[in-house]
Amino acid sequence: MMEVCGSSNVTLREFGSEQSLLSRPDGSASFIQGNTSVLAAAYGPAEVKVSKEIYDRATLEVLIQPKVGLPGVRERAQEQCVRETCEASLLLSLHPRSSLTLILQLIHDDGSLLSCFLNAACVALMDAGLPMSRLFCGVTCAIDADGQIITDPTAAQEKESRALMTFAIDATERRVMMSSTRGSFSVHELQQCIAVSQKASEKIFQFYRDSVRRRYSKTL
Amino acid sequence: MKDTPLSNCERDFLLKAIEEKKRLDGRQTYDYRKMKITFGTDFGCCFVDLGKTRVMAQVSGELVTPKENRPNEGIMFFNIELSPMASPAFEAGRQSELSVKLNRQLERCLRNSKCLDTESLCVVSGEKVWQIRVDVHMLNHDGNLMDAASIAAITALCHYRRPDVGIQGDDVTVYSPEERDPIPLSIYHMPISVSFSFFQQGTYLLVDPCEREERVMDGLLMIAMNKHREICSIQSSGGIMLLKEQVMRCSKIASVKVSEITELISKALENDKKARKAGGKCGFAESMPQERITALKMDETPVEMTDVTNRANDIVQKAEAPPQTVPSPLVPVPGVGQVGQGLHNTWGLEEEDEEEEDDEEEEENDNSCEEQEETKMEEEQHEKEESGGGDVVEISDSEEEEVVILHPEKPDNAPTNTGSSSYQRGAATSKKKQKK
Amino acid sequence: MFSGLKDKVGEVLLPGDEFSLETEDTISLTERVKPEKVVCGPGLRRSGDRLLVCKSGVLRHKQPNMFWMDSQQRRYVPAKGETVIGIVTVKSGDVFKVDFGGSEQASLSYLAFEGATKRNRPNVQVGDLVFSQFVVANRDMEPELVCVDSSGRANGMGVFGAGGLLFTVSLGLARRLLSPHSEVLSDLQTLFPCELVVGMNGRLWVRSSSVQQTLVITNLLQSCDTMTAPQRQELFRRAAQGAL
Repeated sequence: MMEVCGSSNVTLREFGSEQSLLSRPDGSASFIQGNTSVLAAAYGPAEVKVSKEIYDRATLEVLIQPKVGLPGVRERAQEQCVRETCEASLLLSLHPRSSLTLILQLIHDDGSLLSCFLNAACVALMDAGLPMSRLFCGVTCAIDADGQIITDPTAAQEKESRALMTFAIDATERRVMMSSTRGSFSVHELQQCIAVSQKASEKIFQFYRDSVRRRYSKTL
Repeated sequence: MKDTPLSNCERDFLLKAIEEKKRLDGRQTYDYRKMKITFGTDFGCCFVDLGKTRVMAQVSGELVTPKENRPNEGIMFFNIELSPMASPAFEAGRQSELSVKLNRQLERCLRNSKCLDTESLCVVSGEKVWQIRVDVHMLNHDGNLMDAASIAAITALCHYRRPDVGIQGDDVTVYSPEERDPIPLSIYHMPISVSFSFFQQGTYLLVDPCEREERVMDGLLMIAMNKHREICSIQSSGGIMLLKEQVMRCSKIASVKVSEITELISKALENDKKARKAGGKCGFAESMPQERITALKMDETPVEMTDVTNRANDIVQKAEAPPQTVPSPLVPVPGVGQVGQGLHNTWGLEEEDEEEEDDEEEEENDNSCEEQEETKMEEEQHEKEESGGGDVVEISDSEEEEVVILHPEKPDNAPTNTGSSSYQRGAATSKKKQKK
Repeated sequence: MFSGLKDKVGEVLLPGDEFSLETEDTISLTERVKPEKVVCGPGLRRSGDRLLVCKSGVLRHKQPNMFWMDSQQRRYVPAKGETVIGIVTVKSGDVFKVDFGGSEQASLSYLAFEGATKRNRPNVQVGDLVFSQFVVANRDMEPELVCVDSSGRANGMGVFGAGGLLFTVSLGLARRLLSPHSEVLSDLQTLFPCELVVGMNGRLWVRSSSVQQTLVITNLLQSCDTMTAPQRQELFRRAAQGAL
């Protein structure tokens, strides 16, 4: 039986976020987890191209910009993970025939990148005031060679891990909205990682609440 | 997405304000907006804030084969990304007129001015040289992207450290930063672009135009200069005629601005060097303004692990074990492996069946088919009621025509089976009809 | 029934927060039981027997049973009856196309101006500002604006804008300026005389006696969003003394 209690690896690195830091987009946020940082901007509901118009809901586009070069297959795969999570939480049917655009700019990758993308996306969508049925957050877990679970791993920890899992967790029922895994692991390990991520997500949701409260502190 | 159109009243007001030597943000004509230079966590990453305009530059190096006509020189490559993050009018992955113009200007400013010692980037002549790539990402567009981009690019180049390379015979080894300290690029001088916008056919002149000022300007003059007062490139666009005195005046202003900006860059670089030496944290995360109400930061937090193990165990135990037994593979004909039966396809079979069957049956079948649709709903109810009685016939609720499998265990007599099944179905419906 | 909701008035809520709308189990026999209705404004949605918050912001309440979320959004979503500042972008046939900052352009008929007839067309140029009201604004139809009220009067609406400056603020600030007895507005009145047009779409237009004063007001209003009332009053006081 694998034991994770009391392990020092199960921590979230220091994390932070700034909202509305860009003047042009309708909503923007930076999200920082340790050294990993991402900048997100959201536009919408805005004019949609005829070719992308959907008659009964808004079209959501997610663009991930790498630091060097043009977006490739890796970015496309991450875009899809983020887009599907956002689609599940946004109330897209409230703005039919319009477009929502979410742009995620990678600032620095030091592990747990996908979860950082998800968190930045959520804060930016919230900042843009888009109607959402629930909030979500991303948590990355790595299982190292000894079978220890590491939450929010750094790039070095990711490299040495046997398996890497990222979950998008919803705020109301702590359900798993999206999962992206790499490497091999047992069903038991998967369940344990989900349980750890659910616990960790509480911290992030509390952080969301605190930062929004702080933001509105002057207009109460 | 389209940009917000500029209204006539904004245009008139801006021009009137410029005539009165007033600017939207209270600046004087020759003032730059507040400039802030920050660095990323890794080498060669630089952010420049110019008022609300924000750009990021990242320098990266790669070993490539040199160009044939310049075997001893490294390659410099510039790429300005007009990300839609900066403005809704920008489109991702599309070359617009503006992006071509900015890219070209940056190349002229930094590559053609020979500010970088490209010969020092040669590793093996004609075989391997360093390609230094500068990616500039626009993050927020509030005017004067060019100046911000040029400052970000040159600062990032100064900040960048390329990995050390060792040559032994024919082997080239690239050392990781842990093995050998990476080395900085050798930069001769720092060209910085300064933009001037002209209004009313060149009567009025503004330094560092903001976005709305750029929209109403008649012409733009960009002068790239280093702190030794050497002009590296000069470009006038917008099609206005400038007098010699105007260009001279602009170059004088530019020399003052360039020395101020160079001072700022070297100070920022020095600061960053100190911070890195001290081993303190640096980078984007540290540049987050803590005092703003829109920003919040949490320290490293442990995740409470109580009952995580139990919960995971619970879930695993409660979860139904996946069926261990896999149906044994079937070999109907040599060379074919098959697991399970799937469903029998009746799409093409119907006509054949009808041919095979007697007229009587055909008639009945047709009738039943017609009536079946009408009575489908009722049938479903019936089905529930006589769940005990319907031991032979299965009626699926799917939209497709019902497929009835009598004895799915016997794949051998499949063709005859289908025939008889449709007969059975007819019989079953007729039975129901009688019941009604 | 709405006690749970009323308790939270003035608090910051996040999307996904829920309220139960179930009726209480005990019904008083002496008092007459009236079926209570709750009016949900922007940011609140009903899902089944629950009330769901779908925008982050502060929960506000107005007697008797109106609730809405007050958020600092920037993108405008049109609503019927709201007045906005639009920019005319196209003149085509018998309608103008007007940009109001939403997801599509609104149409404004030639005839929807005071005193306009087929012969007597209003003088509107591309790029002009119009202060107008939504008569059609829902998610499935093209929004439509008019510059007359129900009795055919302009009532302050129409083409305007000469000599002033247009700028944008957050929708929250625009609403705060429009609310009756607005503190920001009363603070502004102490400064110097100016004309102010506030659109619900976050566009503001200011004109005062000089360019300098117009610019001061513009910058003051744009910075109001992130200030508490005392900070704002302090800043306005300094501006009045001529420090800016």
